[in-house]
Amino acid sequence: MSYLELHGLEVSFDGFKAVNGLDLSVERGELRCLLGANGAGKSTTLDLICGRTQPTGGRILLDEHDITYDPEYRRARRGVGRKFQVPSVFKELSVRENLEIARSRHPEPWCTLRAFPGRRLSPRVAEVVEIVGLEDALDTRAGHLSHGQTQWLEIAMLLVQDSALILMDEPTAGMTIQETGKTSAIFQRLRGRHTLIVVEHDMGFVREIAETITVLHQGRRLSEGPIRVIENDPKVREAYLGSGGISHA
Amino acid sequence: MPRITSAAQFLPYILFCGAILAVPSIVSDPFLLNKFARYLALGLAAAALALSWGYCGILNLGQGVGFGLGAYAMAMHLKLKTSPVHTGTAGLPDFMVWNNLDHLPWFWQPFHSGLFALAAAVLLPALVAALLGWFMFRARIAGVYVAIITLAMLAVTNLLFVDQQAYTGGLNGITDLAWFEMGGVEFDPYSPAFYYLSAGCLAFFLMLGMVFTRSKAGLVLRAIGSGTDRVLFFGYDMASYQCLAFSLSASMAGVAGMLYAMVLEFASPTFMGVPISLSMVIWAAVGGRGSLLGATVGAILVNGTQGSLSETFLDSWQLILGALFILVVVFLPNGIAGLANSLGARLSGRARGMAARSAAPSALLNRR
Repeated sequence: MSYLELHGLEVSFDGFKAVNGLDLSVERGELRCLLGANGAGKSTTLDLICGRTQPTGGRILLDEHDITYDPEYRRARRGVGRKFQVPSVFKELSVRENLEIARSRHPEPWCTLRAFPGRRLSPRVAEVVEIVGLEDALDTRAGHLSHGQTQWLEIAMLLVQDSALILMDEPTAGMTIQETGKTSAIFQRLRGRHTLIVVEHDMGFVREIAETITVLHQGRRLSEGPIRVIENDPKVREAYLGSGGISHA
Repeated sequence: MPRITSAAQFLPYILFCGAILAVPSIVSDPFLLNKFARYLALGLAAAALALSWGYCGILNLGQGVGFGLGAYAMAMHLKLKTSPVHTGTAGLPDFMVWNNLDHLPWFWQPFHSGLFALAAAVLLPALVAALLGWFMFRARIAGVYVAIITLAMLAVTNLLFVDQQAYTGGLNGITDLAWFEMGGVEFDPYSPAFYYLSAGCLAFFLMLGMVFTRSKAGLVLRAIGSGTDRVLFFGYDMASYQCLAFSLSASMAGVAGMLYAMVLEFASPTFMGVPISLSMVIWAAVGGRGSLLGATVGAILVNGTQGSLSETFLDSWQLILGALFILVVVFLPNGIAGLANSLGARLSGRARGMAARSAAPSALLNRR
């Protein structure tokens, strides 16, 4: 049995089936890319896995537990972490405070009531801050960060959260080429220790990081395999007809 | 550095608590002491609102529910202490006799004990808030809808107390109260002892609130208050955090109401009315809802001004108060506390600038 399994997952928004009988299995430690045109159901799939959206059918199994109807916070405690497409950090709080919230190994109120975060960073947080290069912005309010820095902050928060399964929605959106390179280096480090599912449009980036790619089309799985297979799959070519195949998507 | 920061954050609280506890050594006029004790009780109610509204984004327009429950819990005890003198009939409170009750209702019985009344004033509001909060926050109700629901809750509670005349004294409330007595000390509302009780409660809850907001739970609540559900994806159960803050705030309001009933020597349905609940919102806004101390100071200042204005401008003081509120909301969105903060930051910024300038040469030397 795989680490994450989706069985016949479906969700409909006012009759529109954004995800329509999706089957997917991801092994522990795997880095999986989700590809597909706009509206193919990639972000919705991530929403379904992390619990932001409730499915109208099908099942989600994480590490042999049925989490289909668990609330978001239970899934997070089981090890599901999520980076959103629009960077989602706490704008009113400082970078330091954002990272403290992400340090959520003991999220119950009776634990947090007894914890008094000081100004000293834990070794793990200090390491992450160095990786993403936010050392000088620790006391900046997150709302005052640039778009790129906000992306890095959210990635840093996920690294601090240290979830077993990390769902990344367009992690390199709005990043420069250098920053994208840094992100792919981070992903290479996470590979094996964490299970990652990445939605990404930047094919260069996908080529660099992906082992297995799943292509979605109209809420279903269209094709799956290594990048060579995907690029030569006639079904994929057909779905992307007019845009010159997936390489130019 | 860390020690300096936290000390700087606690300093205004410590100064304020020291100041209010020192008042009886300067003021000896019993009427003034009584008035100040009343302001401090209202200050506590405003601090309670700042805790839920300012820190957690829960705008509770029904703060009067907790306030009133606390007031009635204490009034019931103090009424039971007096009734034999006034009625003589089996110790039944006077209004019950007028309503043809022949024995004390079961839920009045435990209020013979002062300790029970104290516990009820603290816990009952928290319990009611936790129950209401559980339904609201589980259903992810937020923002203006919380304000509407809490306002409705206030109206319902008020009606219930007015309606159950035989048990609550109806519109009149519970009047002619005795003085509270505990550990051999009698808390005459015009005595320094009572003032110390009021100031002590305020100081205790300000410190408790300060510690609470500095804890990690407080941080999580501030994150929730910024209006996103992002914390859910880090594993924090948002609803239980909100319930916690909502209940703690109600508890503080309960203590404030308890002191208020003691100082006025009666409890009435106006304590859980819309006007007083909305006034608390104004006090907190004027003082700065983002700061417990700010809200407290706001309540004291507004009530102090109200006291002196209403004596000189009998009819127009509410207009003046309204104008003050509008001015503060427009020009000082973070209230008096916000003003103090930005002044403090400017001063310490200047000090830091000077320090940096004097440190610069040595830094250069070190680099070489």
